Amino acid sequence: MSEAIQRPTRLVRKGTLWVGQFEAMASPCEILMSLDAREVAEELLQLAASEAWRVEQKYSRYRDDGIVPRINHSNGQPVSVDPETAQLLDFAWQCYTLSEGLFDITSGILRKAWSFQAGAAVPNAEDIAALMPLIGLDKAHWQSPDLTLPAGMQIDFGGIGKEYAVDRTLAQLQQRADVPLLVNFGGDIACNRCPDPEQPWRIGIEAPSRQGEALEMVAVQSGALATSGSSYRYLLSEGRRYGHVLNPRTGWPVEEPPLSVTVAASTCTEAGMLATFAMLHGRDAEVFLEKQEVRYWLVR
Amino acid sequence: MQLMSNKRKITGLLATATCSLLNQNAVAQEIPGWYVDTAVLGYTEKDRVDAVEPVINATRIFDDGAKLNVKFVLDSLTGASPNGATISDQIQTFTRPSGRGGYVTPAGELPLDDTFKDTRSALSANYEFSLNRLTRLSAGLAFSDEYDFTSIGFNSSVARDFNNKNTTLLLGFAYESDTITPEGGIPVRFGSVRLNPGRGPKWEDEEREREGGDEDKTVTDFLVGVTQVINQRMLMQLNYSFSSSDGYHTDPFKVLSVVDRTSGRPLDYLYENRPDSREKQSIYWKTKYSLINGNVLDLSYRYLWDDWDIVSHTVDARYLFDLTDRLYLEPHVRYYTQQEAEFFSHSLRSGDALPQYASADYRLGAFDGLTYGTKLGYRLSNRSEVSMRLEFYDQRGDTVGTPIGIQNNYDLFPNLDATIFQLSYSIRF
Repeated sequence: MSEAIQRPTRLVRKGTLWVGQFEAMASPCEILMSLDAREVAEELLQLAASEAWRVEQKYSRYRDDGIVPRINHSNGQPVSVDPETAQLLDFAWQCYTLSEGLFDITSGILRKAWSFQAGAAVPNAEDIAALMPLIGLDKAHWQSPDLTLPAGMQIDFGGIGKEYAVDRTLAQLQQRADVPLLVNFGGDIACNRCPDPEQPWRIGIEAPSRQGEALEMVAVQSGALATSGSSYRYLLSEGRRYGHVLNPRTGWPVEEPPLSVTVAASTCTEAGMLATFAMLHGRDAEVFLEKQEVRYWLVR
Repeated sequence: MQLMSNKRKITGLLATATCSLLNQNAVAQEIPGWYVDTAVLGYTEKDRVDAVEPVINATRIFDDGAKLNVKFVLDSLTGASPNGATISDQIQTFTRPSGRGGYVTPAGELPLDDTFKDTRSALSANYEFSLNRLTRLSAGLAFSDEYDFTSIGFNSSVARDFNNKNTTLLLGFAYESDTITPEGGIPVRFGSVRLNPGRGPKWEDEEREREGGDEDKTVTDFLVGVTQVINQRMLMQLNYSFSSSDGYHTDPFKVLSVVDRTSGRPLDYLYENRPDSREKQSIYWKTKYSLINGNVLDLSYRYLWDDWDIVSHTVDARYLFDLTDRLYLEPHVRYYTQQEAEFFSHSLRSGDALPQYASADYRLGAFDGLTYGTKLGYRLSNRSEVSMRLEFYDQRGDTVGTPIGIQNNYDLFPNLDATIFQLSYSIRF
């Protein structure tokens, strides 16, 4: 295994809270801890950072020795995976089924055709059509712990990894010290309980058009929030806007996706999935969310 | 670009899927690395045995979840232990089991062999790994050695998860082979014990007290268990085990008094004699409950019965609660009660025909034992912890059968009080 990720961490006191900060999964990460002992806070921060870095490292698409590249280069041969990966695959499979194919961990290959960098062009229909046979988790054979992925297909855990890391980190921190905690990895948040029932955690949901400005302050006692956004990246071609939320069933961008969807649920993974599914429902996002009977905040 | 039309409610199914993803990982999956526990245990019986027992227990958890465990125990026993003879109103003189030298028990006291001294070392290793996502196999070896006793064994088990990993079925098997080589040889069953070694009987008679140099015993155990996750906070376990042992079960150091049928005074001492086989069965039930505040309650009950007619019940309760972020307390109470073996007897009566088997070993008698105490732990960091445990043990025996003559003046099964103290240090790296 390659060297474990090591990046700087920072611990500061804000009022009655210790705030730990570090970077993981390309996001600023923050841990809020309601306790006094500095050394306990420091220890929790290190625990959180190592868990976030561990998930990042283990499920990175870019590390040659990781499980994801091993699966993606298996060339149609079965790959036997470890128990944690098996559980993630089980989960991905269930999400694929529940979303009727809208959430698909094999859809990343569309990146070959779609680029949202400045100056990029909208791909032609033939390029997309050529990729479609390589998309669809149902084309893979999954008999835990063996995954057989047809040659040329790819998977990634980008759509699950961060929320999963948030929930796991919170569970581990809580096991170590049962104090009020909030884990925030780039806006995906979970907390166990608030320091005081009179003073719930107050979470600002960002307005997509004005970065940094809170759209709404949400009071949370316990549970999780996750946000899926289509805000900053899109292509404009012949007056048509192409967002970066791609529908794996068509290979084309989802029509009229909301700018941002935030969902509250008991775990971050659940909230993240609901937000992602809603985004993939495009213009019907609200209909989908209403049906789910969850608290949500949506920006068009 | 037709979007999906069926916008049904999926939150229930999604929550279930998320729950099984997160639960397994947060609770069941341990962080790879080394886990080392070191401890010293001290055990003191009032006026009897003292034991000091250092333990090193190291577990390596590999990245794929496989586990290697190695444990080493050194047990050092000194002090006095009841030799099985009954209390008398006269001074009693005994030969050491080895045949060398003797000891004297004052009138009115329970005869204790004060030369009890032994060191035991035990080493065991166990490897557990996943055969596939639902099945785990384990295999282990155990070896234990002391001055006059050697034991070697192996065990194996298979655990299979069902029902979304909420149910685990365990099948286990263990085999053990023991050899006992008492100093001076194996005494003749119900043979008369020499009272004045070197002065009394001739050596030919002495020879007849011993029938061999060593004896063997084999033990085979089977276990079937079910572990069920009741909900996120509660776990329940139910085991049935069957144990069959064959060979030498007699304790070569234990004797029985033959008392006068009217006065109750000892006339002779015989080596004890136990059956050559034993079949034990037990049912064990355990519940672990995690409270919302992180405290953990552990409750268990064991019912054991065997073909020697011993029946026992054990109830055990522990409650772990945090005093501060780092400090925790775990009070513990355990109650044990046992019905005597069919052939247990405090003494034999002169003039009666010898029974087929007999033993006066108090461990085969009827008694109750209560253990109570607490553990105090301090987490130094998320990787290391120190703890100490202090417990007291009170044992009360019942007199079985009708006491004869002077036996009525004494407690034939005196209480036993013991103190247990343990100091431990655990670290993960």
